[in-house]
Amino acid sequence: METPPVLEVRGARRRYGEREALAGVDLEAHPGEIVVLLGPNGAGKTTLVRAICGQSRLDGGSVRVLGQDPARDRGVRHAIGLVPQDIALYETLPVATNLEVFGRLAGLSGATLRTAVADALTGFSLADRARDPVRDLSGGMQRRVNIAVGALHRPRLLLLDEPTVGIDPVARQSVHQVLRGLAQRGMALLLTTHDLAEAEQLADRVVVMAEGRVRASGAVPDLINRLFGGRQEINLLLARPPDESTRTVLEGAGLIPTVQPEFWVGAVTDDPEPLAELRARLKGAAVPVAELRVVAPGLHGVFLRVTGRVPVTREAA
Amino acid sequence: MTGMVWAIFRATLLQTLRDRGALAMGFGLPVIFFLIFAEIFSSAAGDEVRLDVAIVDEVKSAESLRLLAALTADPAVRTVPGVTDRQQAREMVRLGTADVGLVVRADGESLATASGLAAPPLLLLVDPARGMTATVLAGQLERAYFAALPDLAVGRVAELVGTEFTTFTPQQEQEITAGLARLRSDASGGGGDGGGGWSFADLVESMPVAGRNASTNHVAYYAGAIAFMLLLFVAVQSAQGILDDRDRGTLDRIATGPAGIGVIVTGKFVFLALQGLVQTALVFVIAWLVYDVDLPGSFGPWLLVAATSSAAAAAIGLMLVVDCRTRVRAQFVPTIAILIMSALGGSMVPRFFMPDWAQKLGWLTPNTWALEGYSAVFWRGEPLAAVLPYCGVLAAFAVVSLGLTYWFARGLLRE
Repeated sequence: METPPVLEVRGARRRYGEREALAGVDLEAHPGEIVVLLGPNGAGKTTLVRAICGQSRLDGGSVRVLGQDPARDRGVRHAIGLVPQDIALYETLPVATNLEVFGRLAGLSGATLRTAVADALTGFSLADRARDPVRDLSGGMQRRVNIAVGALHRPRLLLLDEPTVGIDPVARQSVHQVLRGLAQRGMALLLTTHDLAEAEQLADRVVVMAEGRVRASGAVPDLINRLFGGRQEINLLLARPPDESTRTVLEGAGLIPTVQPEFWVGAVTDDPEPLAELRARLKGAAVPVAELRVVAPGLHGVFLRVTGRVPVTREAA
Repeated sequence: MTGMVWAIFRATLLQTLRDRGALAMGFGLPVIFFLIFAEIFSSAAGDEVRLDVAIVDEVKSAESLRLLAALTADPAVRTVPGVTDRQQAREMVRLGTADVGLVVRADGESLATASGLAAPPLLLLVDPARGMTATVLAGQLERAYFAALPDLAVGRVAELVGTEFTTFTPQQEQEITAGLARLRSDASGGGGDGGGGWSFADLVESMPVAGRNASTNHVAYYAGAIAFMLLLFVAVQSAQGILDDRDRGTLDRIATGPAGIGVIVTGKFVFLALQGLVQTALVFVIAWLVYDVDLPGSFGPWLLVAATSSAAAAAIGLMLVVDCRTRVRAQFVPTIAILIMSALGGSMVPRFFMPDWAQKLGWLTPNTWALEGYSAVFWRGEPLAAVLPYCGVLAAFAVVSLGLTYWFARGLLRE
């Protein structure tokens, strides 16, 4: 991208006792870009977001928002908006009052505040419910208010922690629409999610983290291409955990273990021969195959290959 | 079924054992709580009331010295040192330095010959709001009188017999019997016919040190005592909203912006302090309208005490809640803390009823300073300048508690 980044994280390190929550993370977000942060639980996403908010100190490295350190330069926090995972609103107060209160806390006042509230009510399709208490709204609408409050002061960087968790697909689509609208207005969005389908739909760029490190970063098609190079994705499920000899066979066939011992992943070309060859090889070595699937590569495969973990499903999340 | 109950019992027991804070609260605090309350209430309800008495002997006769020696030998009476004259004793009682004053007066009859016709020899200086102290001291004085001056007591009786009935002639027995019968009749009739009778009460006169109505003063005391305790409870209850804000992520959201956690604490504090002021005003307006407590006449000093005590209660309530960090703790620890502060501070039992150590500890509680402030306003009718020290300490409570709240609040943000 040509424009200078809104967010620039370089070599971020943070340790909690023995555990290294961040082990040298680099990350950028540019104006108008939607960056999705993926990773299993404990990957360091929350620590990273808190460091970007200026609420958690780093042991090493730096965080810069518009060139300034949000932990030291409180002024730059005007440029940051946060949308927590919970509905972080005053639920007994009307929608418009919530917008006014949080707008004021974000530093808005007078005509600027009134205009921002009016724009948010219109832009987030909340005008009809402006006088209703937040607790009377549907889950999807509450999510919209939650985001509207975070974006009210037009921050240059909006951080969203699982913004669509717990809402139905229709409501999710409406939230996605809202988020794309914000990005089109030039806001940089950094959102965390466990929902890979959501990440594929929304992300200009995904950043996959594991064990405090960035394991992969880029646009979804680029990542797929980089990891699979036009090949198909193989998912192999064993009937039981492999013994040493089975492991040798599987590794010899180019398959990669995951944290689930029975589950292995790999890639094959579209030609039938290599797959037939793999089947024969597994059969010859008496590998206890429960299921062997060949699927079109997607973010799921990327996540599996770089983290070794099966992603949390939408239901589980 | 039994196994399932056991499983729940075991899980609960293990959770309790692993939470040191819960252990301390569950088993340590009840003991401390009991000890403090037992001490205070047993002193208040029992016969261990100790009075700080400002004593002035203007006569220094053999009798007065013997009487005061017997009185001050009583463990229930503590002499306030450094009292030189009646005016100073009166001032000490007015200011609460002494519970009650005792003057063996030079302008009255002598202890040895008092006839009840002129001013009694003993003068009690009493704060109307603590009228109980005069009753207690009069009882101690009577005991000391009969213990230390039995010759006077018997002599008074003999004199009484000799002057009121007859000289000791052959007819004495009959006349004394008749006289005693008449005395008995007079006593049971509610008073004599002006000529005869003698009681210890003739030796004592009580004089209020403040001009205000005693019952009104009592209402003013309880208005202050209840208002301040209520303020603390309401502040804690309202302050718990900050923990809800934390759990919902609202605190994170606000702290991420330019406002920061300090704005949240300050905003809550200002609200709680103003809410407390309105609550205090309501209590005192009722006291004024229903019980004739002179609120309009003392409005300036009252406002100052009410404002600083509201600020102190708000900051202390916030501090107690924020320090707890979880709702479960915040519903228990502050309640215990408030009850202990209120008991020691005089919100439940007047402090002069308490044992000495409790009275001293009371000065560490904001309740004592608030109550002393209100006492200065309504009991002693003091001007604005005189309540400033109390208000200063209450303001200091507010500032220190608020400072600690800012410090603790940083821990509320999720690390």
